[in-house]
Amino acid sequence: MNTTDWNSLDTEDFRATVRRFFEHNYPEALRYPKRRLRWAEIRDWTLKLSAQGWLAPSWPVRYGGMGLAPEKLITFIEEQERHGVARAPDMGISMVGPLLIQHGSDEQRAHYLPRILSCEDIWCQGYSEPNSGSDLASLRTEAVEDGDDFIVNGQKTWTTLAQDATHIFLLVRTDKAAKKQEGISFLLADMKTPGITVRPIRNIAGNEDFCEVFFDNVRVPRSQRVGELNKGWTIAKALLSFERIFLGSPKQSQYALARVREAAELLGLFDDAVFTDRYTQLALDVADLGTLYTRFVDQVKRGETLGPDVSMLKVFATETYSRLANLLVEIAGASGGMPGDIEVEGGSIDVLTTFYNARPATIYGGSNEIQRNILATSVLQLTA
Amino acid sequence: MSAVIADPDRPQQLEMLRSSALTFATRESPATRARALRSKAPGFDLRFWSALATQGWTGLLVPESAGGYGQGFAEMAEVATALAAQAAPEPVTPVLVFAGRLLQACAGNTTAQALLAELAEGRALPAVAWQEDASGAASFDLRGRLAEPAAVCVREGDQLVLRGGKRHVRPGAAATGYIVTASSSEGMALVWLPAQCVGLVRNVDRLADGTFAARLQFDNVAVPAAHLLAIGPAASDALAAAYDETLVLTGVELVSVARRMLSMTLDYLRTRKQFGKLIGSFQALQHRAVDMLIQQELSGALVAHALAELDRGCTGSERALLAARVKSRCSEAALTIARESIQLHGAIGVTDDCDLGLYVQRALVLSAWLGNAGVQRRRYAALSRNAARQPGAAE
Repeated sequence: MNTTDWNSLDTEDFRATVRRFFEHNYPEALRYPKRRLRWAEIRDWTLKLSAQGWLAPSWPVRYGGMGLAPEKLITFIEEQERHGVARAPDMGISMVGPLLIQHGSDEQRAHYLPRILSCEDIWCQGYSEPNSGSDLASLRTEAVEDGDDFIVNGQKTWTTLAQDATHIFLLVRTDKAAKKQEGISFLLADMKTPGITVRPIRNIAGNEDFCEVFFDNVRVPRSQRVGELNKGWTIAKALLSFERIFLGSPKQSQYALARVREAAELLGLFDDAVFTDRYTQLALDVADLGTLYTRFVDQVKRGETLGPDVSMLKVFATETYSRLANLLVEIAGASGGMPGDIEVEGGSIDVLTTFYNARPATIYGGSNEIQRNILATSVLQLTA
Repeated sequence: MSAVIADPDRPQQLEMLRSSALTFATRESPATRARALRSKAPGFDLRFWSALATQGWTGLLVPESAGGYGQGFAEMAEVATALAAQAAPEPVTPVLVFAGRLLQACAGNTTAQALLAELAEGRALPAVAWQEDASGAASFDLRGRLAEPAAVCVREGDQLVLRGGKRHVRPGAAATGYIVTASSSEGMALVWLPAQCVGLVRNVDRLADGTFAARLQFDNVAVPAAHLLAIGPAASDALAAAYDETLVLTGVELVSVARRMLSMTLDYLRTRKQFGKLIGSFQALQHRAVDMLIQQELSGALVAHALAELDRGCTGSERALLAARVKSRCSEAALTIARESIQLHGAIGVTDDCDLGLYVQRALVLSAWLGNAGVQRRRYAALSRNAARQPGAAE
């Protein structure tokens, strides 16, 4: 496997190495996919990354990662975004790995980490429940100790690509009497365990990006608990690393702006002063978002931890994206209700893909309303 | 300037300057001072200007060869920020940045060199006179660049004769003279018109913040040929550069004013009670305050980036696009924050007694000056097209 000390490389040399690898190896047909790709579609590429030793850029080298320092990791992700590399099911890399490295037992690490790196195990995240979305700590899926096992009953939902996953990590209630944040534990479960049922949810774009996961008397060995009993909430919160910054990346908006520009050129709208002004307003929003993003990225590169103020990036990024999507639908006029490619004189445009993708962006990762609550209390010191 | 920028101790020196500028501005320029100076010509205090000169701040941007300190834009921004936070009415940006940088760009010229030395000492307050119509729309051509002026300059023997008029000249009162733009047979001319020039008619308009802007009329006003500061491409390049730099420093002032308004509003939300609760506990108001914060931080990050770019020596269409972005964002953000601050203050926010008004009025003046958000947005679009691509095009 690759043992290069990436951090000793000059950033631009590192960037060139990464870029070359993506250009030579990433399948052209999968660049800038319009929807979340399924495991069967992205599997070959993920295995190639795995063989290259690049599947876990942020993990320490001794666990099989690239051990990238923040600046190099950001470069790596910038190059992924620039080339339009799709997001593979990455919960094992981004969540389970760091979770086990920080809080797992030696046995858990020795068993699971290599299987994540080889793509034998594909993980999904069992956090949200039908009645616990923004108020996640109110979750009710319960785990009751019984001999060497926990018996789990309840339901998770909005579980991204659960139908492709082999394992799930989940937050469960282990003490109903305690204050809601203090009775939660972290469990790891094999999706093949009897009693687990997965039901995909069809979204308004017609895709099955997420699922419901039902637990009916599911036996999970005690050895599959991560960290101390009833300390799951603290652990889950600590897992919010600086990678939160990518929720506020300007890439999505830059991509949508390019779609608006292409459509407007085909439709001859740049002769219209009213349209041009609205377009320019959004172009300036995207440009200024990029500048604000760079300010936070520089903070990470200097090795500083991000404060709660990073939430403002997610709010402005996703709302800019949403405004671009709205404009795209509007300029399509009578074709604005037509999904997929729309033939226009001189080419074709697609407006609803952007519209559909913009909807969850302001909801996931903490809805924008929750982000505003955080900013109001933690940054502006306004109390409830 | 590059020696200052390359100095490894610059961050510490900037920090020291920030702290001394804040201390000075807070002590010497309380809101009561700004309030008292309003609407009485010249609308600011010439003794305070001398105090700024004593601090060395009138000479910050002036090269050492002209008696200044050869500092960068980031240093100038620290002083402008501290004074704007106190709503100080002194014409720091119009005189020290717009006129000062323009004179510096005419460095080969002896009149310009002498004026620059006087400016650094705080004795000269030159103002730039370049706009000619009420809305300022005629100041730019269709490509977003500074338009040819309608005012004309003709050589007659060893004199220059000027005809035309100018508007939106700041400072409107107490300027010691005007750097006037005019068209000539050799292209754009920059001419120095001393304030007491025979035939120069000046009308003064009060602005919303109680400072003043001048309208100038010059019908066959004659000055010695030595008053020609620059002509042709040298003149238009100098004006374009000083204009862009002034947009960025005006952005700095707008950010400072916006920060002050948001901070006053947050203080109010944290103390005002209704229905037995602090109004800052209401989610509807919290979310509005957060949107103000986002606009403030977008402007702040952009201005910091633009200052670094100016200090790096960014030029041409890159500089023009960046400056237009800054003035557009900062004008819009400051006005939004001004309106929201009034709303969140309730009726007290529309009283003259409330200091918030000092900042709201300043935001109105600074947003309008040199092209507001809409004007700069149209310039940005035109300049982008000019640079052979659509606005905001990514590679």
